[in-house]
Amino acid sequence: MNKTKIPSTPSMTKWRRVYYLIPIVALVIPFFANEYLLWVVNAILVYTLVTVGFNLILGNLGQLAFANTAFFGIGAYTTAILMVYFDVPYFLAILASAVVGGIAGFLASVTALRGIRLYYLAIITLAFGELMRWVYLHGDKVTDGSDGLLLPAASFFWIPLDSEAPKFYVFLLLTVIVVKATSNLMRSKIGRAIVAIRDNESATASLGIHTARYIVLAFVWSGSVVGIAGAMFAVLTERVLPEAFGLTEVIIHFGMVLVGGTGSIVGSVLGAIALTALPEYFRQFPGMDELFFGIVIVLILLFLPKGLVSLLHRISPVFQERYYRD
Amino acid sequence: MEPLLKLQGVSVNFSGLKALANVTFDAHAGEVRAVIGPNGAGKTTLFNAISGYVPSTAGTIYFKGTPIHGLAPHDISIKGVRRTFQNGGLFLELTALENILAGLHVHIDGSFLGIVMGLGEAREAEREGIARARRLLDLMDLGVIADTPVKDLSGGQQRMVEIVRTLATEPPLLLLDEPVVGLSPPMRDRMMEIIRRLAGEEGIGIILIEHIIDLVMSGSDVIVVLSSGEVIAEGTPEEIRQNREVLEAYLGHA
Repeated sequence: MNKTKIPSTPSMTKWRRVYYLIPIVALVIPFFANEYLLWVVNAILVYTLVTVGFNLILGNLGQLAFANTAFFGIGAYTTAILMVYFDVPYFLAILASAVVGGIAGFLASVTALRGIRLYYLAIITLAFGELMRWVYLHGDKVTDGSDGLLLPAASFFWIPLDSEAPKFYVFLLLTVIVVKATSNLMRSKIGRAIVAIRDNESATASLGIHTARYIVLAFVWSGSVVGIAGAMFAVLTERVLPEAFGLTEVIIHFGMVLVGGTGSIVGSVLGAIALTALPEYFRQFPGMDELFFGIVIVLILLFLPKGLVSLLHRISPVFQERYYRD
Repeated sequence: MEPLLKLQGVSVNFSGLKALANVTFDAHAGEVRAVIGPNGAGKTTLFNAISGYVPSTAGTIYFKGTPIHGLAPHDISIKGVRRTFQNGGLFLELTALENILAGLHVHIDGSFLGIVMGLGEAREAEREGIARARRLLDLMDLGVIADTPVKDLSGGQQRMVEIVRTLATEPPLLLLDEPVVGLSPPMRDRMMEIIRRLAGEEGIGIILIEHIIDLVMSGSDVIVVLSSGEVIAEGTPEEIRQNREVLEAYLGHA
């Protein structure tokens, strides 16, 4: 065969390595940012994982499952409870949040596997989130109910997390690891199977792909990722409150996915940045801040229906995320 | 010679409605077998029953001497019975290359941990899969559209990609549900030529559903005629042409 017929070079996916520069450059942020700004950046890191996990279900698997706040809250409370009552080191608490979040993801996947889809799946998973909030509120012997659970001073191995800068470095490390692992997963046979199920579930099975296994895997991974985000959120806010995981929170997560771009990891990061930073920015206009925030979201979705990431796609097709890695 | 696929008394009922009744036939390697019949005769239901998408209510289906009735679609596919879909089974948001890679799924190794951590063996398996997928596309002159999302391809190109995807694992038996529908006449002929070559040169057993009677008569070795879920005739194109019952039931004239 004539080799010149292949227009794409094997480096189609290799340019992506430029993304490694982002966390490296980010290392200097604490030298310039004040404590408040650093808090916002830390929140962005938390919401990056929240959105990456949610997008996997909404964008890649294409299921309208809204259990994301449940995963988030479960992750936060797992870390808080382990640290408050059992003096578990933060590092182990994070792992536990990932495991418990994954179990919650598995439970959510059972509904989808049983053929409950679309709006039915949406309402059941929303109910799961509300049910968990009820548990946090009424399990007050453990959770301190609506007062919230106050965390003890945390440290990551030998690093005390007593200000925003050390939190930033720990969160950045966690975010980079989880995002990279998720990206590896998406650019493999596993990621292809998940997207194939979204596009045509019957045809996916016809290729010998055990669809149920990949639906479960997507939910478990999503639950783990968002569970880790919850563990970060607990240490960021230092007090875990039930109202942090209500219906408004689901809408914000949903907004981050849509504003960033469904099915895109880069989009997830952009969505998390935009919807975390904008409300903070608009705080300087008291009384108008929520209005401005709403207008900006509407404008973004009106002019960029495929999210902020589509701006990158317009610059060059190489920014399209593909589901293989050469 | 042992048949590749052996159907014995296969029936499918949909809430009392008989979609397939007592279907019995053998399909062989290297043979192009056409299934024809009027709309609603049960042709696609037959494919769905063989490939595990609908449960058969009675009868047995053996592939290479082992029973496959009652197995899940993915297990039947892994055993070597692969199919296409009438209204297209492509993943439209994925590129042609990614579609073929999905077709190669079970042939691309890599443990979960290896994939997540990006370990060497998983990367290597992925690269081998990509090279193989590109080679397959090149063989069908589809190399130039390898990195195009399938939704942006023409109907003919989409059909070809689906065939390549189905063939990627070199299955012994292919079920093609209207492989030339929506294609231009020259593309149709080309597709039939490819199908004949797959059977003749590669020894693949092919069962296809087709409406265009000329293509069926010229392109198949054996024709099975379905009507109201029953096999009313089976034979060579010549025999079917002579069959009065078929002429009446299907071709609509005597």
